[in-house]
Amino acid sequence: MLALLFILFGALAIGCALAVVAQRNPLYSAISLIGVFISLACLYVMLAAPFIAAVQVIVYAGAIMVLVVFVIMLLNVEQEERRRTRLRFLVPTAVVLAAILIAEVAFMLVSVQDFRVIPSEGAPDIGVTHSIGPALFTHYLLPFEITSILLLMAIVGAMTLARRARLLPPNARVVPGAQQLPLSIVDPNAAPDDLRVVEADTADEAARILGIKGLRNQSRQD
Amino acid sequence: MDTAIDIALKFAAITVAFVVVLLIVAYTVLAERRILGFIQGRLGPNRVGYGGMLQPFADLLKFILKEDIVPDKSTRFVYFLAPVIATMAALMTMIVYPFGPEIRIPFTSITIPLVVARFDVALLYVLGVTSIGVYGIALAGWSSNNKYSLMGGLRSAAQMISYELALGLSLIGVIMLAGTLELGRIVELQSGWHGFRWFIFFQPLGFLIYLTAAIAETNRVPFDLPEAETELVAGFHTEYSAMKFALFFLAEYINMFTVSMLATTLFLGGWNVPFAEDIFGRGTFLFGLVSAIGFLLKVIFFLFLYIWLRGTLPRFRFDQLMNFGWKILLPLALFSIFITATLIFLFPNL
Repeated sequence: MLALLFILFGALAIGCALAVVAQRNPLYSAISLIGVFISLACLYVMLAAPFIAAVQVIVYAGAIMVLVVFVIMLLNVEQEERRRTRLRFLVPTAVVLAAILIAEVAFMLVSVQDFRVIPSEGAPDIGVTHSIGPALFTHYLLPFEITSILLLMAIVGAMTLARRARLLPPNARVVPGAQQLPLSIVDPNAAPDDLRVVEADTADEAARILGIKGLRNQSRQD
Repeated sequence: MDTAIDIALKFAAITVAFVVVLLIVAYTVLAERRILGFIQGRLGPNRVGYGGMLQPFADLLKFILKEDIVPDKSTRFVYFLAPVIATMAALMTMIVYPFGPEIRIPFTSITIPLVVARFDVALLYVLGVTSIGVYGIALAGWSSNNKYSLMGGLRSAAQMISYELALGLSLIGVIMLAGTLELGRIVELQSGWHGFRWFIFFQPLGFLIYLTAAIAETNRVPFDLPEAETELVAGFHTEYSAMKFALFFLAEYINMFTVSMLATTLFLGGWNVPFAEDIFGRGTFLFGLVSAIGFLLKVIFFLFLYIWLRGTLPRFRFDQLMNFGWKILLPLALFSIFITATLIFLFPNL
């Protein structure tokens, strides 16, 4: 029974993984990847790790892949065309890497002689929620905290990238959170497309920092 | 041989649970139409059967017999897949809810548990399967090749991701109090004290956050931006007709039912009815019956709340919706967790 389910979900995972690579339509690839994640979650359940299985579905299938699907839908990606000429150098590399992988698997199969399905009854409470919390906050506290800081760095990096102005003049100061204002808003003599980055919230503040006396009167222009 | 019987019994239990849930859902639709009619000073459907009692079946027949129109430029496979994902994800959570305590059939020693499956991470399973349901709506919007559908799908995905956080965080307080993720155990912990041990009395803020986030998760008024008919025709299901539309409709109502059951299980004591244990005694047939009916009544109360809100509240604007989710609900949920953790730390014996 267990072996049957393992074969079913294993085959499903491999099939979906092949579909991820083979599909030309990026959305189909994304859907196949969701299939891979769900099959893996089912395998985790069979390995007596229900918590990891649930987290796998919630985080990977439920959150990350939603964002991927979201991006594909927003960008309106068309079907990928075959780009033989540009990817030519990758083919030999891929062959070498695949050979190494196959060699590794063969080595594993040969070296591990005593190779059988270990029933999941052997370790009943390793993957259970109750045993994960204490382990995470006592024995593995340092790796846990380091992972949190890693995630925090990713968030700060994303914020910095998102809020930075796109086209910067060469001598500009880059301040995270700075606002980009056209100089023509504050200086009547500036060219209309001159951009300078100033750490300011309003046009008045920008004018004070740049040392410009007269604010351009917007109503006079019309 | 025993495993085969076990599997057959599980299948039977799942079938019974699905049929009961689908029947209740069918009559929720009827109740919604009648109650909305009452709120708006009209009658609602009252012709098919006594007082409209057969209306859901008439609707179903009509859905099946209507022409199924598939848009010419749609992405076929995904277009067909989307309603299936939506309905499947909605139905899959049914198996973990305890509808009642173990019922012993009179004059025999056979006991039937009124829950299909009890396992360690039931609550996380519910959250995980619910998060899969987003794909149904998002993919439906994308594959229809219609700008209104796409807008509806995108709005829905953004809304569900945003409110999922507040929803998950509002449950943490209950998990901390119960110390388990298994729904049956959470219900058992709430028995006693004549109903004052329900977690709503320990987690009033968490309950309100859960209720709000759950309404947003199910795309109901006042959070029904994905299908705002004044802006988006019908939102993500604009291009769907006949039975495929019915599947989306069904998924929405099953989701309503699911979040109502979760609210009942986690905050309103599940199948615990005050004084039922004193009157009937634990483990008797009547006790089981009264408990199951009590569970059903609590769920029906939430369903009525949904319909009531739909009849009375206007719709949010999209920026209001996002601001409310991220700037009010999420900090409030974190605050609720903080308070709960502090209280548990100070009074560990309570």
